[in-house]
Amino acid sequence: MRKSRIGADDKPMRFEDERFLMCHQCSQCSGVCPSERQGGINPREIVMRYAAGIADPSDGVLWLCTMCHSCAERCQLDVRPAELISMLRQEGAEKGSCPRSFQEEAKLFMRTGLSFPSTGLTKKIRKEMGLPELVQDARTVEDIALIASKTRLGRVRLE
Amino acid sequence: MSDGSYLFRGCLIPTRLPYLESSSKYVIDRMGIDAKDLPGASCCVEPIGLKTIAEDTWMVTVARMLAIAERDGRDVLTLCNGCYLSFVEAMHVLRTKERADKVNEVLDQIGLEYKGDVKVRHILDLVHSLGEERLRALVSTDVSMVHVAPHTGCHVLRPSGIGLVEIPYAPRMLADVATWSGARVDHSEEWPECCGGGVSSIDETLSSKMLERVTGRYKGSGANCILTPCPFCFSQFDLRQKEGLPVLYISELLAMAMGAPANVVGLKYHRIRTNF
Repeated sequence: MRKSRIGADDKPMRFEDERFLMCHQCSQCSGVCPSERQGGINPREIVMRYAAGIADPSDGVLWLCTMCHSCAERCQLDVRPAELISMLRQEGAEKGSCPRSFQEEAKLFMRTGLSFPSTGLTKKIRKEMGLPELVQDARTVEDIALIASKTRLGRVRLE
Repeated sequence: MSDGSYLFRGCLIPTRLPYLESSSKYVIDRMGIDAKDLPGASCCVEPIGLKTIAEDTWMVTVARMLAIAERDGRDVLTLCNGCYLSFVEAMHVLRTKERADKVNEVLDQIGLEYKGDVKVRHILDLVHSLGEERLRALVSTDVSMVHVAPHTGCHVLRPSGIGLVEIPYAPRMLADVATWSGARVDHSEEWPECCGGGVSSIDETLSSKMLERVTGRYKGSGANCILTPCPFCFSQFDLRQKEGLPVLYISELLAMAMGAPANVVGLKYHRIRTNF
Protein backbone atom coordinates (compact mmCIF):
# COMPACT_ATOMS: atom_id res chain seq x y z
CA MET A 1 0.00 0.00 0.00
CA ARG A 2 1.19 3.41 -0.93
CA LYS A 3 1.33 6.07 1.70
CA SER A 4 -0.17 9.36 0.66
CA ARG A 5 1.62 12.59 1.38
CA ILE A 6 -1.51 14.50 2.16
CA GLY A 7 -3.24 14.09 5.45
CA ALA A 8 -0.76 11.44 6.58
CA ASP A 9 -0.37 12.93 10.05
CA ASP A 10 -3.88 14.11 10.72
CA LYS A 11 -6.16 12.02 8.59
CA PRO A 12 -9.85 12.95 8.68
CA MET A 13 -11.63 9.98 10.18
CA ARG A 14 -14.02 8.97 7.42
CA PHE A 15 -11.61 8.41 4.56
CA GLU A 16 -9.66 5.43 3.44
CA ASP A 17 -6.92 6.89 1.31
CA GLU A 18 -6.37 3.71 -0.67
CA ARG A 19 -9.72 4.10 -2.37
CA PHE A 20 -8.55 7.26 -4.12
CA LEU A 21 -5.59 5.34 -5.54
CA MET A 22 -7.83 2.83 -7.35
CA CYS A 23 -8.64 5.29 -10.17
CA HIS A 24 -8.07 4.07 -13.75
CA GLN A 25 -8.38 7.59 -15.19
CA CYS A 26 -11.39 6.53 -17.30
CA SER A 27 -12.87 10.08 -17.28
CA GLN A 28 -16.46 9.05 -16.47
CA CYS A 29 -16.37 11.50 -13.57
CA SER A 30 -15.14 14.49 -15.55
CA GLY A 31 -17.54 13.62 -18.37
CA VAL A 32 -20.52 14.00 -16.06
CA CYS A 33 -19.16 16.83 -13.89
CA PRO A 34 -21.30 19.96 -14.38
CA SER A 35 -18.45 22.21 -13.25
CA GLU A 36 -15.88 20.67 -15.60
CA ARG A 37 -18.28 21.09 -18.51
CA GLN A 38 -18.24 24.86 -17.95
CA GLY A 39 -14.49 25.14 -17.39
CA GLY A 40 -14.50 24.67 -13.58
CA ILE A 41 -12.85 21.71 -11.81
CA ASN A 42 -11.75 18.44 -13.44
CA PRO A 43 -12.32 15.66 -10.88
CA ARG A 44 -10.30 13.10 -12.83
CA GLU A 45 -7.29 15.37 -12.73
CA ILE A 46 -7.63 15.94 -8.97
CA VAL A 47 -7.63 12.17 -8.39
CA MET A 48 -4.63 11.73 -10.72
CA ARG A 49 -2.65 14.39 -8.87
CA TYR A 50 -3.50 12.85 -5.54
CA ALA A 51 -2.43 9.37 -6.67
CA ALA A 52 0.83 10.86 -7.96
CA GLY A 53 1.42 12.60 -4.62
CA ILE A 54 1.30 16.09 -6.13
CA ALA A 55 -2.19 17.24 -5.11
CA ASP A 56 -2.13 20.81 -3.82
CA PRO A 57 -4.66 21.47 -1.01
CA SER A 58 -4.22 25.22 -1.49
CA ASP A 59 -5.30 25.05 -5.16
CA GLY A 60 -8.24 27.44 -5.60
CA VAL A 61 -9.82 25.14 -8.20
CA LEU A 62 -10.89 22.76 -5.40
CA TRP A 63 -13.62 25.26 -4.46
CA LEU A 64 -15.24 25.06 -7.92
CA CYS A 65 -16.94 21.76 -7.04
CA THR A 66 -20.64 22.02 -6.09
CA MET A 67 -20.58 18.72 -4.18
CA CYS A 68 -23.33 17.37 -6.45
CA HIS A 69 -21.71 13.90 -6.28
CA SER A 70 -22.43 13.11 -9.94
CA CYS A 71 -18.81 11.91 -10.18
CA ALA A 72 -19.34 9.30 -7.48
CA GLU A 73 -22.46 8.05 -9.21
CA ARG A 74 -20.68 7.36 -12.49
CA CYS A 75 -17.45 5.91 -11.08
CA GLN A 76 -17.21 2.16 -11.69
CA LEU A 77 -14.50 1.78 -9.05
CA ASP A 78 -16.17 3.69 -6.22
CA VAL A 79 -13.39 6.27 -6.03
CA ARG A 80 -15.79 9.12 -5.17
CA PRO A 81 -13.77 12.16 -6.31
CA ALA A 82 -15.96 14.69 -4.43
CA GLU A 83 -14.91 13.09 -1.15
CA LEU A 84 -11.26 13.52 -2.11
CA ILE A 85 -11.96 17.16 -3.00
CA SER A 86 -13.59 17.61 0.40
CA MET A 87 -10.60 16.05 2.12
CA LEU A 88 -8.17 18.31 0.27
CA ARG A 89 -10.29 21.36 1.12
CA GLN A 90 -9.98 20.51 4.81
CA GLU A 91 -6.21 20.42 4.50
CA GLY A 92 -6.20 23.72 2.64
CA ALA A 93 -8.62 25.44 5.00
CA GLU A 94 -6.36 24.84 7.97
CA LYS A 95 -3.54 26.55 6.11
CA GLY A 96 -5.61 29.55 5.05
CA SER A 97 -7.00 28.75 1.59
CA CYS A 98 -10.70 28.73 2.50
CA PRO A 99 -12.59 31.24 0.28
CA ARG A 100 -13.86 34.38 1.95
CA SER A 101 -17.55 33.45 1.58
CA PHE A 102 -17.10 30.14 3.41
CA GLN A 103 -14.96 31.87 6.05
CA GLU A 104 -17.79 34.30 6.72
CA GLU A 105 -20.21 31.40 6.92
CA ALA A 106 -17.93 29.59 9.37
CA LYS A 107 -17.66 32.68 11.58
CA LEU A 108 -21.42 33.20 11.58
CA PHE A 109 -22.00 29.54 12.41
CA MET A 110 -19.56 29.63 15.31
CA ARG A 111 -21.10 32.85 16.62
CA THR A 112 -24.82 32.11 16.16
CA GLY A 113 -25.19 28.42 15.28
CA LEU A 114 -26.71 29.39 11.91
CA SER A 115 -25.20 29.76 8.44
CA PHE A 116 -27.44 32.56 7.22
CA PRO A 117 -28.07 35.81 9.06
CA SER A 118 -31.51 36.98 10.07
CA THR A 119 -32.03 40.38 8.43
CA GLY A 120 -34.56 43.18 8.43
CA LEU A 121 -36.27 41.52 5.48
CA THR A 122 -36.47 38.25 7.45
CA LYS A 123 -38.27 40.06 10.26
CA LYS A 124 -40.58 41.88 7.84
CA ILE A 125 -41.71 38.78 5.92
CA ARG A 126 -42.04 36.65 9.07
CA LYS A 127 -44.21 39.32 10.65
CA GLU A 128 -46.36 39.74 7.54
CA MET A 129 -46.94 35.99 7.38
CA GLY A 130 -47.70 35.63 11.07
CA LEU A 131 -44.60 33.51 11.74
CA PRO A 132 -42.86 33.81 15.13
CA GLU A 133 -39.70 35.90 15.34
CA LEU A 134 -36.45 33.96 15.03
CA VAL A 135 -34.68 33.60 18.34
CA GLN A 136 -31.59 31.44 18.72
CA ASP A 137 -31.45 30.09 22.25
CA ALA A 138 -28.30 30.77 24.27
CA ARG A 139 -27.75 27.11 25.11
CA THR A 140 -27.54 26.15 21.42
CA VAL A 141 -25.04 28.92 20.74
CA GLU A 142 -22.91 27.67 23.67
CA ASP A 143 -23.12 24.06 22.45
CA ILE A 144 -22.02 25.00 18.93
CA ALA A 145 -19.10 27.06 20.27
CA LEU A 146 -17.99 24.06 22.32
CA ILE A 147 -18.32 21.67 19.37
CA ALA A 148 -16.30 24.01 17.13
CA SER A 149 -13.56 24.28 19.75
CA LYS A 150 -13.27 20.48 19.94
CA THR A 151 -13.30 19.87 16.18
CA ARG A 152 -11.66 21.01 12.94
CA LEU A 153 -13.78 24.11 12.41
CA GLY A 154 -12.04 25.68 15.39
CA ARG A 155 -8.74 25.16 13.56
CA VAL A 156 -9.72 26.64 10.18
CA ARG A 157 -7.54 29.66 9.54
CA LEU A 158 -9.81 32.69 9.28
CA GLU A 159 -8.86 36.19 8.18
CA MET B 1 -43.32 7.24 12.71
CA SER B 2 -42.54 7.25 16.41
CA ASP B 3 -44.22 9.69 18.81
CA GLY B 4 -44.28 12.29 16.07
CA SER B 5 -41.65 14.42 14.41
CA TYR B 6 -39.54 17.44 15.02
CA LEU B 7 -39.53 19.86 12.13
CA PHE B 8 -36.00 20.94 11.26
CA ARG B 9 -36.33 24.15 9.25
CA GLY B 10 -32.61 24.61 8.57
CA CYS B 11 -31.13 28.09 8.03
CA LEU B 12 -32.06 29.25 4.54
CA ILE B 13 -35.82 28.78 4.86
CA PRO B 14 -36.48 30.61 8.16
CA THR B 15 -34.06 33.47 7.39
CA ARG B 16 -34.43 34.13 3.67
CA LEU B 17 -37.47 32.17 2.50
CA PRO B 18 -39.99 32.29 5.37
CA TYR B 19 -42.83 31.79 2.89
CA LEU B 20 -41.58 28.25 2.29
CA GLU B 21 -41.80 27.68 6.05
CA SER B 22 -45.32 29.06 6.09
CA SER B 23 -46.58 26.84 3.26
CA SER B 24 -44.73 23.80 4.63
CA LYS B 25 -46.31 24.17 8.05
CA TYR B 26 -49.72 24.50 6.41
CA VAL B 27 -49.21 21.30 4.39
CA ILE B 28 -47.79 19.33 7.34
CA ASP B 29 -50.73 20.43 9.43
CA ARG B 30 -53.26 19.48 6.75
CA MET B 31 -51.65 16.06 6.50
CA GLY B 32 -52.29 15.61 10.22
CA ILE B 33 -48.59 15.26 11.08
CA ASP B 34 -47.46 16.23 14.55
CA ALA B 35 -44.24 18.18 13.88
CA LYS B 36 -43.22 21.01 16.21
CA ASP B 37 -39.91 22.81 15.72
CA LEU B 38 -36.80 20.89 16.78
CA PRO B 39 -35.61 22.38 20.07
CA GLY B 40 -31.95 23.43 20.04
CA ALA B 41 -31.78 23.50 16.25
CA SER B 42 -28.58 24.82 14.66
CA CYS B 43 -27.28 24.82 11.09
CA CYS B 44 -26.82 21.25 9.79
CA VAL B 45 -23.28 22.23 8.69
CA GLU B 46 -24.38 22.41 5.08
CA PRO B 47 -22.74 19.83 2.81
CA ILE B 48 -21.43 22.17 0.10
CA GLY B 49 -19.09 24.52 1.97
CA LEU B 50 -19.03 24.25 5.74
CA LYS B 51 -18.96 20.46 5.94
CA THR B 52 -16.08 20.27 3.46
CA ILE B 53 -13.84 22.43 5.64
CA ALA B 54 -14.57 20.54 8.86
CA GLU B 55 -16.05 17.08 8.59
CA ASP B 56 -15.84 16.20 12.26
CA THR B 57 -17.65 19.45 13.14
CA TRP B 58 -20.44 18.33 10.82
CA MET B 59 -20.65 14.88 12.40
CA VAL B 60 -20.84 16.16 15.97
CA THR B 61 -23.26 18.98 15.12
CA VAL B 62 -25.71 16.67 13.36
CA ALA B 63 -25.31 13.99 16.05
CA ARG B 64 -26.21 16.61 18.67
CA MET B 65 -29.56 17.30 16.99
CA LEU B 66 -30.24 13.63 16.28
CA ALA B 67 -29.55 12.92 19.96
CA ILE B 68 -32.10 15.57 20.99
CA ALA B 69 -34.76 13.98 18.73
CA GLU B 70 -33.79 10.52 19.94
CA ARG B 71 -34.03 11.57 23.60
CA ASP B 72 -37.55 12.88 22.97
CA GLY B 73 -38.63 9.85 20.93
CA ARG B 74 -39.26 11.84 17.76
CA ASP B 75 -38.19 11.62 14.13
CA VAL B 76 -36.61 14.52 12.24
CA LEU B 77 -38.41 16.08 9.30
CA THR B 78 -36.32 18.29 6.99
CA LEU B 79 -37.43 20.79 4.35
CA CYS B 80 -34.10 21.09 2.55
CA ASN B 81 -32.01 18.75 0.40
CA GLY B 82 -28.80 19.98 2.02
CA CYS B 83 -30.08 19.40 5.55
CA TYR B 84 -31.43 16.02 4.51
CA LEU B 85 -28.07 14.86 3.10
CA SER B 86 -26.26 16.21 6.16
CA PHE B 87 -28.45 14.18 8.51
CA VAL B 88 -28.66 10.98 6.44
CA GLU B 89 -24.95 10.88 5.64
CA ALA B 90 -24.01 11.55 9.27
CA MET B 91 -26.20 8.61 10.36
CA HIS B 92 -24.51 6.51 7.69
CA VAL B 93 -20.94 7.27 8.79
CA LEU B 94 -21.84 7.05 12.49
CA ARG B 95 -22.80 3.41 12.12
CA THR B 96 -19.10 2.79 12.69
CA LYS B 97 -18.65 2.43 16.45
CA GLU B 98 -15.26 4.13 16.49
CA ARG B 99 -16.70 7.29 14.94
CA ALA B 100 -19.83 7.23 17.10
CA ASP B 101 -17.63 6.92 20.21
CA LYS B 102 -15.56 9.96 19.18
CA VAL B 103 -18.69 11.99 18.54
CA ASN B 104 -20.17 10.91 21.88
CA GLU B 105 -17.02 12.03 23.72
CA VAL B 106 -17.91 15.59 22.70
CA LEU B 107 -21.67 15.17 23.15
CA ASP B 108 -21.09 13.87 26.66
CA GLN B 109 -19.83 17.34 27.61
CA ILE B 110 -23.20 18.83 26.70
CA GLY B 111 -25.23 16.09 28.32
CA LEU B 112 -26.28 14.19 25.20
CA GLU B 113 -25.67 10.78 23.66
CA TYR B 114 -26.20 9.62 20.09
CA LYS B 115 -27.36 6.01 19.77
CA GLY B 116 -28.59 5.90 16.18
CA ASP B 117 -32.19 5.07 16.95
CA VAL B 118 -33.84 7.88 15.02
CA LYS B 119 -35.37 8.38 11.61
CA VAL B 120 -34.83 11.30 9.24
CA ARG B 121 -37.24 12.25 6.49
CA HIS B 122 -37.47 14.87 3.78
CA ILE B 123 -40.81 16.56 3.10
CA LEU B 124 -40.74 15.02 -0.41
CA ASP B 125 -40.53 11.58 1.16
CA LEU B 126 -43.23 12.37 3.71
CA VAL B 127 -45.70 13.61 1.10
CA HIS B 128 -44.95 10.82 -1.37
CA SER B 129 -45.37 8.15 1.30
CA LEU B 130 -48.89 9.42 1.88
CA GLY B 131 -49.75 7.85 -1.47
CA GLU B 132 -51.91 8.99 -4.35
CA GLU B 133 -55.31 8.32 -2.84
CA ARG B 134 -54.73 10.10 0.46
CA LEU B 135 -53.01 13.05 -1.16
CA ARG B 136 -55.78 13.49 -3.76
CA ALA B 137 -58.31 13.43 -0.93
CA LEU B 138 -56.65 16.55 0.52
CA VAL B 139 -56.79 18.46 -2.78
CA SER B 140 -59.59 20.98 -3.01
CA THR B 141 -58.36 23.54 -5.55
CA ASP B 142 -57.72 23.05 -9.26
CA VAL B 143 -54.03 23.60 -10.09
CA SER B 144 -54.15 22.07 -13.58
CA MET B 145 -52.88 25.38 -15.01
CA VAL B 146 -49.55 24.71 -13.28
CA HIS B 147 -47.30 22.90 -15.77
CA VAL B 148 -44.15 21.83 -13.99
CA ALA B 149 -40.62 20.83 -14.88
CA PRO B 150 -39.64 18.78 -11.80
CA HIS B 151 -36.14 19.48 -10.46
CA THR B 152 -35.46 17.04 -7.62
CA GLY B 153 -32.04 18.48 -6.75
CA CYS B 154 -28.88 16.55 -5.99
CA HIS B 155 -28.96 15.89 -2.29
CA VAL B 156 -32.04 13.69 -2.00
CA LEU B 157 -30.60 11.31 -4.60
CA ARG B 158 -26.79 11.49 -4.62
CA PRO B 159 -24.53 9.93 -3.44
CA SER B 160 -26.37 6.61 -3.62
CA GLY B 161 -25.71 3.83 -1.13
CA ILE B 162 -25.98 5.91 2.05
CA GLY B 163 -29.74 5.68 2.54
CA LEU B 164 -31.13 8.68 0.65
CA VAL B 165 -34.78 8.23 -0.26
CA GLU B 166 -34.69 8.94 -4.02
CA ILE B 167 -32.85 7.07 -6.80
CA PRO B 168 -29.98 8.73 -8.71
CA TYR B 169 -31.30 7.98 -12.20
CA ALA B 170 -34.80 8.89 -13.43
CA PRO B 171 -36.26 9.98 -10.07
CA ARG B 172 -40.06 10.08 -10.10
CA MET B 173 -41.23 10.96 -6.58
CA LEU B 174 -41.49 14.69 -7.26
CA ALA B 175 -43.34 14.17 -10.56
CA ASP B 176 -45.72 11.78 -8.77
CA VAL B 177 -46.48 14.35 -6.09
CA ALA B 178 -47.08 17.03 -8.74
CA THR B 179 -49.45 14.75 -10.66
CA TRP B 180 -51.36 13.72 -7.54
CA SER B 181 -51.80 17.37 -6.56
CA GLY B 182 -53.45 18.00 -9.94
CA ALA B 183 -50.63 19.82 -11.74
CA ARG B 184 -49.39 18.80 -15.19
CA VAL B 185 -45.85 17.43 -15.56
CA ASP B 186 -44.21 18.64 -18.77
CA HIS B 187 -40.65 17.41 -18.34
CA SER B 188 -39.10 14.13 -17.27
CA GLU B 189 -35.90 14.02 -15.22
CA GLU B 190 -33.46 11.36 -16.41
CA TRP B 191 -29.98 12.29 -15.19
CA PRO B 192 -30.75 14.96 -12.57
CA GLU B 193 -28.45 17.92 -13.04
CA CYS B 194 -26.95 20.32 -10.53
CA CYS B 195 -28.39 23.87 -10.50
CA GLY B 196 -24.93 25.36 -9.91
CA GLY B 197 -25.95 26.93 -6.59
CA GLY B 198 -23.01 25.35 -4.77
CA VAL B 199 -20.46 27.65 -6.42
CA SER B 200 -22.59 30.81 -6.60
CA SER B 201 -20.56 32.49 -3.85
CA ILE B 202 -17.23 31.34 -5.34
CA ASP B 203 -17.54 31.90 -9.10
CA GLU B 204 -20.71 33.57 -10.25
CA THR B 205 -20.01 33.13 -13.96
CA LEU B 206 -19.44 29.39 -13.59
CA SER B 207 -22.55 29.08 -11.44
CA SER B 208 -24.67 30.94 -14.00
CA LYS B 209 -23.44 28.77 -16.87
CA MET B 210 -24.41 25.64 -14.95
CA LEU B 211 -27.79 27.15 -14.17
CA GLU B 212 -28.47 28.12 -17.78
CA ARG B 213 -27.85 24.60 -19.00
CA VAL B 214 -30.51 23.27 -16.64
CA THR B 215 -33.12 26.01 -17.05
CA GLY B 216 -32.71 26.07 -20.84
CA ARG B 217 -34.01 22.51 -20.96
CA TYR B 218 -36.90 23.24 -18.64
CA LYS B 219 -37.85 26.31 -20.65
CA GLY B 220 -37.84 24.24 -23.85
CA SER B 221 -40.15 21.60 -22.34
CA GLY B 222 -43.18 23.92 -22.37
CA ALA B 223 -43.47 23.98 -18.58
CA ASN B 224 -44.60 27.26 -17.03
CA CYS B 225 -42.66 26.72 -13.82
CA ILE B 226 -39.92 24.68 -12.18
CA LEU B 227 -40.91 22.56 -9.18
CA THR B 228 -38.29 21.72 -6.56
CA PRO B 229 -38.14 20.30 -3.03
CA CYS B 230 -34.85 22.14 -2.32
CA PRO B 231 -34.65 25.73 -1.01
CA PHE B 232 -31.09 26.15 -2.33
CA CYS B 233 -32.16 25.20 -5.86
CA PHE B 234 -35.22 27.42 -5.34
CA SER B 235 -32.99 30.40 -4.51
CA GLN B 236 -30.67 29.76 -7.42
CA PHE B 237 -33.63 29.57 -9.84
CA ASP B 238 -35.50 32.54 -8.40
CA LEU B 239 -32.56 34.91 -7.91
CA ARG B 240 -30.10 34.18 -10.70
CA GLN B 241 -32.00 32.81 -13.64
CA LYS B 242 -32.02 34.60 -17.02
CA GLU B 243 -34.82 32.59 -18.69
CA GLY B 244 -37.39 33.98 -16.26
CA LEU B 245 -39.13 30.65 -15.63
CA PRO B 246 -40.97 30.89 -12.26
CA VAL B 247 -40.14 28.36 -9.57
CA LEU B 248 -42.33 26.69 -6.96
CA TYR B 249 -41.15 24.90 -3.85
CA ILE B 250 -42.97 21.60 -3.23
CA SER B 251 -45.04 22.91 -0.31
CA GLU B 252 -46.19 25.94 -2.30
CA LEU B 253 -47.79 23.78 -4.98
CA LEU B 254 -49.31 21.48 -2.36
CA ALA B 255 -50.63 24.35 -0.26
CA MET B 256 -52.22 25.90 -3.37
CA ALA B 257 -53.84 22.56 -4.23
CA MET B 258 -55.07 22.17 -0.66
CA GLY B 259 -56.76 25.54 -0.88
CA ALA B 260 -54.42 27.63 1.28
CA PRO B 261 -55.08 31.39 1.27
CA ALA B 262 -52.63 33.56 -0.68
CA ASN B 263 -51.03 35.01 2.46
CA VAL B 264 -50.04 31.51 3.61
CA VAL B 265 -48.41 30.58 0.30
CA GLY B 266 -46.67 33.92 -0.26
CA LEU B 267 -46.11 33.78 -4.02
CA LYS B 268 -45.84 37.59 -3.95
CA TYR B 269 -42.37 37.28 -2.39
CA HIS B 270 -40.93 35.48 -5.44
CA ARG B 271 -38.56 37.53 -7.61
CA ILE B 272 -39.85 35.82 -10.75
CA ARG B 273 -43.60 36.26 -10.66
CA THR B 274 -45.76 33.22 -11.34
CA ASN B 275 -48.14 33.62 -14.26
CA PHE B 276 -50.93 31.20 -13.50
